[in-house]
Amino acid sequence: MSTFEVDLHLSLPGKASNGQSAAPRARRLVATAVVVALAPLLLLLFWWLSAARGWVSPQVLPQPAWVWQTFVDLVVSGDIIAAAAISFRRIAEGFLLGATSGFLFGLLIGTSRSADAYLGPTFRALAAIPSLGWLPILILILGIEETLKIVILAKACFVPMAISTADGARNIPAKLSDVADVLGIRRSTRFFRLTIPAMAPFLASGIRLSLSQAFVSLIVVEMLAGSDGLGYLMVWGRTLFQLDIVIVGMIVVGTVGFLLDLLLRRMEKAIVRGASAHG
Amino acid sequence: MRHLISSFLLAAALALSSAPLRAEDAPATIRLGDVGFGFGTPFGVGLQAIADAKGFIADEFKGSPTKLEFTYFTGTGPAINEALSNGQLDFASYGAVPNIIGKANGLDTVIVASYGGTTIFGAARPDVEIRSIADLKGKKVAIQKATIIHWGLISALKGAGLSEKDITIVDLKNADQLAAIAAKSVDAVFGADFLLPLEDKGLARIFYKSSDTGATGDGFGAFLVTDKFRKSYPEATQKVVNGFVKAAQWLGDEKNREEAFQIWSRAGTPVDVIRKSNAGSSLRDKYNPRLDAFFVARYKSGIAFNLEQKLIRRDVDLDAWVDRSYVDKAVASQKLEAYWPDRGTTGSVKN
Repeated sequence: MSTFEVDLHLSLPGKASNGQSAAPRARRLVATAVVVALAPLLLLLFWWLSAARGWVSPQVLPQPAWVWQTFVDLVVSGDIIAAAAISFRRIAEGFLLGATSGFLFGLLIGTSRSADAYLGPTFRALAAIPSLGWLPILILILGIEETLKIVILAKACFVPMAISTADGARNIPAKLSDVADVLGIRRSTRFFRLTIPAMAPFLASGIRLSLSQAFVSLIVVEMLAGSDGLGYLMVWGRTLFQLDIVIVGMIVVGTVGFLLDLLLRRMEKAIVRGASAHG
Repeated sequence: MRHLISSFLLAAALALSSAPLRAEDAPATIRLGDVGFGFGTPFGVGLQAIADAKGFIADEFKGSPTKLEFTYFTGTGPAINEALSNGQLDFASYGAVPNIIGKANGLDTVIVASYGGTTIFGAARPDVEIRSIADLKGKKVAIQKATIIHWGLISALKGAGLSEKDITIVDLKNADQLAAIAAKSVDAVFGADFLLPLEDKGLARIFYKSSDTGATGDGFGAFLVTDKFRKSYPEATQKVVNGFVKAAQWLGDEKNREEAFQIWSRAGTPVDVIRKSNAGSSLRDKYNPRLDAFFVARYKSGIAFNLEQKLIRRDVDLDAWVDRSYVDKAVASQKLEAYWPDRGTTGSVKN
């Protein structure tokens, strides 16, 4: 689970970001970029060196130049774009389904003690089983078509979203609830004006965790019962002993995952800041 | 990151350390790889597993410091290609399709013996009218692509006047194939003897057995050595092949049939299933290690298949890849020419 979460704090420790002039800000951005790029660049250097010196077999770890050529070939032929489009559509569908139902379920067990007592333990037990364990049963029920993939991705998104939402619902400040009780606010007003804003930081991290889980599961799903998408492209590359294809797939998935995580972290920060300003 | 670097260093160290020393003395260890099945400690289901279990190769090195290391790869062909490429194996037994892929991508392997044939089965849903290969037209068939089973399906289709365009192929691993046919997601599956229990459970009907149509329908593969090992240790290479041939001779003896099935059942398949799978076939013919005209015809068909399916980007020169000298020497020294006479391209014995 934690393997996907690259814990890069994309700002250097230092002064608060408010009220800074343009020049230090730009300098800070460059410094951040250097810090972020350092590890991948060192890795690239090491990769190039080990290929050039013949430390590892050229079939298992092809030179960066070959991998680049394969990447260009796959882009020109449209293969990688077609595969990525399929994979990202699956993620989007699985996420919409899983995160929405996870949100509703989390709300239920987070707000109702009896619902939590009845459903909570079962949910936690089922959530602990990895998608792989579900696969044979799910194939029996759903077959091997698209539904299977979407359901596994939805399950991957459902769990972190439900946990975060339930946490959020339990952590609504008691004072706020008391005031709302005293004022006798309507249920719908209370939900949209109090519950949701108070839960916003939890929801944001739920969304981020859901999406990163979806990414991890995507590859598993496409490797096992797929015949298209990025995961299958990687498995097929390995079968054909063309590990350059596998590395291209790793780089594409890694880059997109990193960018998505970056974007969601930014959004999460903005929401947390907004929520604390309200509180 | 640190983990990644350390695993890179480890891989580099392995690649360096595994290079054999240029010396005439016996190798300290000989590493042999095979396709494996089963939970816990995987085991093989072919000739090499017999050689391992009965110690035929080990006997050749009795009294010498050389140790043998047998590894069974559940990751099948692709994993064996990677291990060979990383210098982690000296010998390997695996199916023709992945070892042709490995050779075409530059592995320095040399074929030193045939590992014989494997029976390929076709199973269909009981509620779908599939009685023969011809009935597959318009149906959905699950196989694991880029394996010898894939070759088996395509050649069976050709034999029945069909092509792969007439069916829909779904690429699934063994366990998922069983789930898919039970769920009626596919109409038929092609695979090894792991499909046989489906019939007993009433989940599928076996409608095709490759050995029924003669040896040309069976799967095939080879026993290979790395060129580096062969050049550094020609004598040890000969000894390994001698042991391999002895294993084949033992296996061909009818009185050892049941014991062989017991050995193979260590990979997880019940003895009953193995018995059923081999019913009616002579193990002497099936596990013939010779690299004769029949073997060459099989491998030519395998290479043509790999090219046609775009599994390889360049052709493989079979003549340069096969080195008959070891197996021929072993067969001659053990006086087995009459036991395994030369076969023609169709598998029938030449007169």
